[in-house]
Amino acid sequence: MHIPDGFVPPQLCIAGYGLSGLVTWHCLRQINRHPNPTAQMPKASLLAAAFFVASSIQIPLPPVSLHLVLSGLLGAVLGYYAFLAILIGLFFQALFLGHGGLSTLGVNAIIIGVPALVGYGVFQLRRWLPRSLTSAVRYGISGFLAGAVGMALAVTIFISLLIFAVPVGFDAATERAALLTLGIAHGPLVIVEGIFTALLVTFLHRTKPELLTGLAAAPQPVTNQAARPSGERLCD
Amino acid sequence: MRLTVDTYVGRESPLHRWWPRAKLVGLGTLMLGFASVQQIRLVPICLLVTAVLYVLSGLPGSFLRSRLRYPGLFLLGMVIALPLLAGSTILWQWGPLAIRQEGLLSMILIAGRFLSIVTVGMLLLGTTPLLTLIDTLVSLGLPPLLAEMALLAYRYLFDMADQLDNLRQAMRLRGFHPRGNAQSWQQLAAVTGTLLVRSYEQSERVYKAMRLRGYGNARSVSSQLRGWGHPLDVAAVGLCATIALTLIALQFP
Repeated sequence: MHIPDGFVPPQLCIAGYGLSGLVTWHCLRQINRHPNPTAQMPKASLLAAAFFVASSIQIPLPPVSLHLVLSGLLGAVLGYYAFLAILIGLFFQALFLGHGGLSTLGVNAIIIGVPALVGYGVFQLRRWLPRSLTSAVRYGISGFLAGAVGMALAVTIFISLLIFAVPVGFDAATERAALLTLGIAHGPLVIVEGIFTALLVTFLHRTKPELLTGLAAAPQPVTNQAARPSGERLCD
Repeated sequence: MRLTVDTYVGRESPLHRWWPRAKLVGLGTLMLGFASVQQIRLVPICLLVTAVLYVLSGLPGSFLRSRLRYPGLFLLGMVIALPLLAGSTILWQWGPLAIRQEGLLSMILIAGRFLSIVTVGMLLLGTTPLLTLIDTLVSLGLPPLLAEMALLAYRYLFDMADQLDNLRQAMRLRGFHPRGNAQSWQQLAAVTGTLLVRSYEQSERVYKAMRLRGYGNARSVSSQLRGWGHPLDVAAVGLCATIALTLIALQFP
């Protein structure tokens, strides 16, 4: 789902860079509202590297195997850092693997990064799920929704861009058939992404629940107790 | 997974010597000019400029071939699909298969643009160390937090790739063979989750080590690059901008 160099007109490349610049500015603004944004940076960076590597894992779905995008999970784990992590990941992918491209970096960041931020919002729905459900089920459901909604949104943006930005002279029937096939081909991927995100979220909930709180959560009010230097803080 | 681009950055060539800020702006402008090409008659100019730059860089052909392997699949798909499916003017027909003029022209245009932009991008990365490139981006206004994240992610990318290889090897040694069943998926999710948990725990140790070295007291990343290099570096930017603007201007009749 990466748009390579040369496939879209320059206006779209520039618009992609402009829009991703705006989203980056918004994310940085949210991150800087955190009492200590620098404390989160190493976590976001290493998790970004781990996500980049994890996206190379192939999920068997006979007769094929799939690479996952994991944008919903990125949003759930990294919060507002997710867009920055995706921007960096796409830059590295263009550099190391030739996926996407440098001129289309902004467009690709919108295709994958915005769904990650939406995935972050969707993952917060677990707080509104019935308390009668166990915590693991609530996390599993919200994880599935974050993964599936993130992927569905990414596919929708991708196909919309193809419709509006790649006029190659297909006749209407061929274009409709090609886009329909593309949409249907991505359908199973939405479900697979949702299921895999749910499995991962329940695993993380069991083993390292603090990973699922979102790195740039809303700032906590500074109380006298928190402001007092503790032994542990001095040792840092 | 091949995670390095710095193999040929130590060579000597005019492109290697080009001041990084000027090179980034010059080649970036050129890429924009190539992306704006909508007329097939301009494609040979793009390819010619790209070929001259590639020869000037002294990079081996194998470097470009290795980098074009994956994006080449897109190119191949397009080369096959467009002439057969797009357009109405039939140039050649054999049974149900027909080569159409409009599709063929679109294919040549997109493939030409694609090859030119990708090659210029590879020239930039093949002649500039990645750390210098990120430093250059900071000097041109990239937010420091983003640069810090990119540097740290790059530093640990290799560690993470090694850790994933170890996890995969351990799974294979225990007889894991991926199938499309629920158990396989759960195990793959556990492997991915383990990688994330390990990276999270490692990040906590990294942060403590960084704090001990003074990180967090002031913005750590500030660019060492100043200015635009020699007059010749600036002239090269001017040349690239002229080519890009000429390509854009030639679109209009």
